[in-house]
Amino acid sequence: MFNQSKNNYFVCKNLSLLALIAHLCCPALSYAYTGITIIISAPSQSYLEFVDHFKEELIATKNTALRVKVIDLQDSERPVVAENSELVIALGVKALEASSKLKFTTPVLGVFTPLPTFNKLLEASGRDLGNFSAIVLDQPYSRQMLLIKTILPEVKNVGVMLGKTSSQYYEIVKDTGEKRNLNVSIETIKQESELIPKLQKLLDSTDALMAIPDPVVYSRETAQAILLTTYRHQKPVFGYSQSYVRAGALAAVYSTTKQLAKQAAEIAIKTQAAPGLLPPPQAPRYFSISVNYQVARSLNITVADEENAYRKLLDAEAAQHE
Amino acid sequence: MLMIRSANTSPQHLCLTAAFLAFFNLAAYAENTASDFMSEDDYMGEVPKVLTVSRLSQAAADVPSAVTVIDRETIRASGIVDLPEIFRLVPGMYVGANAGYVYNTNHAVSYHGITSAYAGSMQVMINGRSVYSPLFGGVNWSELPIAIIDIDRIEVTRGPNAASYGANSYFGVINIITQTSDETPANSVVATHGSGRNEVFYRHAGKLDALSYRFTADYRQDDGLDDRNDFKRMRFINSQADYRINLKDTLEFELGIADGARGEGNIENDPFVFLPRTKQINNHYALIRWRHHISDTSDFTLQAFHNYDKSDDETTSVNLRPIIAAISPVVAASLVNDNVYVNNAVVQQRTDIEAQQTFALGKQIRAVWGGSVRQDSVYAPNYLDSRKTDYFNLQRLFGHAEWRLHEKLTVNAGALIEHNDFTGTDTSPRASLNFKPHPNHTFRIGASSALRTPNYVEEKFRDRLVVATTNPGQNPLIFQYRANTGNLAPEQIISRELGYLGKLGRLQLDARLFSDKISDVIRDANRTDLVVPPNAVLLNPFLGADITTNVNQGGAEVNGIEFQANWQLSRNTNLLVNHAYIHIRETEDGLKLDYTSSAPRNTFSSLLTHRFNPQWDASLAYYQTSEADLLGDGNKVDLIRKSDLRLARKFQSGRYNGEVNMVIENLFNNHYEEFADYNTFKRRGRINVRLDF
Repeated sequence: MFNQSKNNYFVCKNLSLLALIAHLCCPALSYAYTGITIIISAPSQSYLEFVDHFKEELIATKNTALRVKVIDLQDSERPVVAENSELVIALGVKALEASSKLKFTTPVLGVFTPLPTFNKLLEASGRDLGNFSAIVLDQPYSRQMLLIKTILPEVKNVGVMLGKTSSQYYEIVKDTGEKRNLNVSIETIKQESELIPKLQKLLDSTDALMAIPDPVVYSRETAQAILLTTYRHQKPVFGYSQSYVRAGALAAVYSTTKQLAKQAAEIAIKTQAAPGLLPPPQAPRYFSISVNYQVARSLNITVADEENAYRKLLDAEAAQHE
Repeated sequence: MLMIRSANTSPQHLCLTAAFLAFFNLAAYAENTASDFMSEDDYMGEVPKVLTVSRLSQAAADVPSAVTVIDRETIRASGIVDLPEIFRLVPGMYVGANAGYVYNTNHAVSYHGITSAYAGSMQVMINGRSVYSPLFGGVNWSELPIAIIDIDRIEVTRGPNAASYGANSYFGVINIITQTSDETPANSVVATHGSGRNEVFYRHAGKLDALSYRFTADYRQDDGLDDRNDFKRMRFINSQADYRINLKDTLEFELGIADGARGEGNIENDPFVFLPRTKQINNHYALIRWRHHISDTSDFTLQAFHNYDKSDDETTSVNLRPIIAAISPVVAASLVNDNVYVNNAVVQQRTDIEAQQTFALGKQIRAVWGGSVRQDSVYAPNYLDSRKTDYFNLQRLFGHAEWRLHEKLTVNAGALIEHNDFTGTDTSPRASLNFKPHPNHTFRIGASSALRTPNYVEEKFRDRLVVATTNPGQNPLIFQYRANTGNLAPEQIISRELGYLGKLGRLQLDARLFSDKISDVIRDANRTDLVVPPNAVLLNPFLGADITTNVNQGGAEVNGIEFQANWQLSRNTNLLVNHAYIHIRETEDGLKLDYTSSAPRNTFSSLLTHRFNPQWDASLAYYQTSEADLLGDGNKVDLIRKSDLRLARKFQSGRYNGEVNMVIENLFNNHYEEFADYNTFKRRGRINVRLDF
């Protein structure tokens, strides 16, 4: 459906060199696996749902031979894994951190992990990419930008606020915008006190705000200030989660637990025979969109129904890879 | 011994210290990385509901009436220092600085005429808290404890909108919205100095976990106009805080306290009793609001507030003996005192509790409904001729729905049912249809009805001067100013309009044709049937002075057209133009003579702003008001032309941001008169410095 490597452009740019080295150095140190251990950070609803959907996906694709075992990190500080015959899928940052300490030959796939955190864990653990990968939570910037263009075709200027963590993606965000014919203005902040003045400045010259996760910029504490300020400027916010849309962002692309489970199952099946060759870390392949129609109406923006908008976005994403 | 211990530098000790420091540093490092470590919660975590249905206002194209929004930037560019001055930028609004003989320092602000010094035909709110005076229905603009720099925007609904805003939403509604603490810099200091005006302002905003707050302190003094006793001094502190209880509940608090002094009295109008003097004011208010998010499509809000406004005003007359001696030397000889003392204190209070629910039904319907109970009280021994506090109760139920029938068609309908102690139960409905043939063009047709309940002055104003005598047969003497009979019916307005809202390239246009039909007009009338106690003597016939009351008499039609254009001439230049043509016609006999000329036929205002570079900007405002003959202490004033110029420079140094600006009001020094011939305006200048850090 999508060309994966292009899809994950921004992940690869950071990691392709490392991946290449990893592939060259340790191609065949691991063994084909017979089972999958899912390590969950906590028994939260989305993780438990992930496990269910993952199993369903294996059944649906007739891969019933793969055993699935679940370990809750809250029950055992050091998870016991049959290290040479298992693929470990770590749900959440804590689970990935614990899994990064497993034997280097045990393949580990992180899910529900932010890209910056994955990079840090990769570095800290000294593991190779072929055995340590992830489906990160970060949606590709290109996809977020296409959503903006789908909903507001006339938009030319998009504002982005970056914080301490996300500032490393400054260039990538700019480049992605250029390729989509969007003029991206970026303000970077080091602490929360700079947030609103810089946001106000940004909103004076842009038509919409595209949110990129960063704890200094977007947190539970700053949500009210950001959403009220943008609303007073009558500018829409494009968020990164369903929750942000419910809080008052106009729209967002995000991936459901089911979509992440499907992608993880595909990786598990594909790499079963050669577990040392996990694909490089990748962005979510399947996604959904969410629109806040109350906000759209208040901002006098007419948005086609979600399904139509979603289809348009899929077409646009397919078109850019042709 | 002690020395040796304290100078213990054994290798062991050093090792321990080093180990401790290393551990401490590591711990600090660990803490650092932990906070930088993004978790899945940063992406998927629940976020508090902010733009819930109750916070989302209708898009301009869906609004059932004409609305002028004055934002912060426009207020800044206008260079005003007195809040009511900003309403000159609203088409159809009349502003007269320094109005009548009472409340000398107050502005007269009215929409579509019927302007008096005490113009009481608008609902005025600060963050949803109603601030019009229970006594005379108008607003004591100069006593509001609000700083212009705290204002985020002002929304003016032009036309009656009782269905949404309740009592007194007669000719229009003014809603002043202040900045939240999130939006303001941590500290701001502002100082203003100029022709007879000095003001200092300090604001601090901060955050403590889930609590964000702001404090503002302000001191201002203004000498007023030449030849009028209208100086004003005020200091106030106000505060606003938001406390987020959880993701769905928020509490908002507002508090304020003010005191000051005012010039009062006018020697030309009254050389005997209400002489030039100083009165003291003391005000405070408190508001609490609970917002509860029921679901993605429904919100509940509960708010309660209390306003307290007190003015201490005492006056002693001139020696009355010679004046009375001219009528009757015998009576004059019998006076107990030479002078009469009047306690003109006024204490007004308002307590209001309101609950409302906002909800959406599918994608097409949005609605709000709710109810409120209010108690106003007035203690005014001189006005009401009673030492008792008088209470006025009001209950209301309201509902309003916006129904988007079609992408191009929106229907708005609403109604208010109100019950009050003065006029009983009244209903005010409204309906409108917005047709949007193109995303940039909206046409609106609407009708709205509202009732204006008489205020205390209209219903119960009964002030008299009582002069004690020693004469046993004629004791005492009474001079009666007003003797209102009460039992007035509410004044009614039925407003019909045809509106257009459009975007033509860089030009935004809002035009409106309107026709307001006013009936049961509350007006002054002479009263001849006043009976005084058998042992008293009424002085009025001897002095040729009428006794006044209020009656419902006459009807009028106010027709006209108004438009507002906002034209972005270039990236750095903006032009705002407003014009209104208003014609008042008597439709039922019985109006006062000057009623139909109580609005200027044409009002025009414009504001040109230009940014030369990121540091320098300038603005030029021009206001023109045609001649008018104003009611209630007002009189005939000629055409007014006034230009204000403002030049500003922004600066930044490290964490300090600021601005220095200079304003020249009435640039060409036209000596014009506003509201009445005793208010003469000349050129004035000010300098203003702001520092944010």
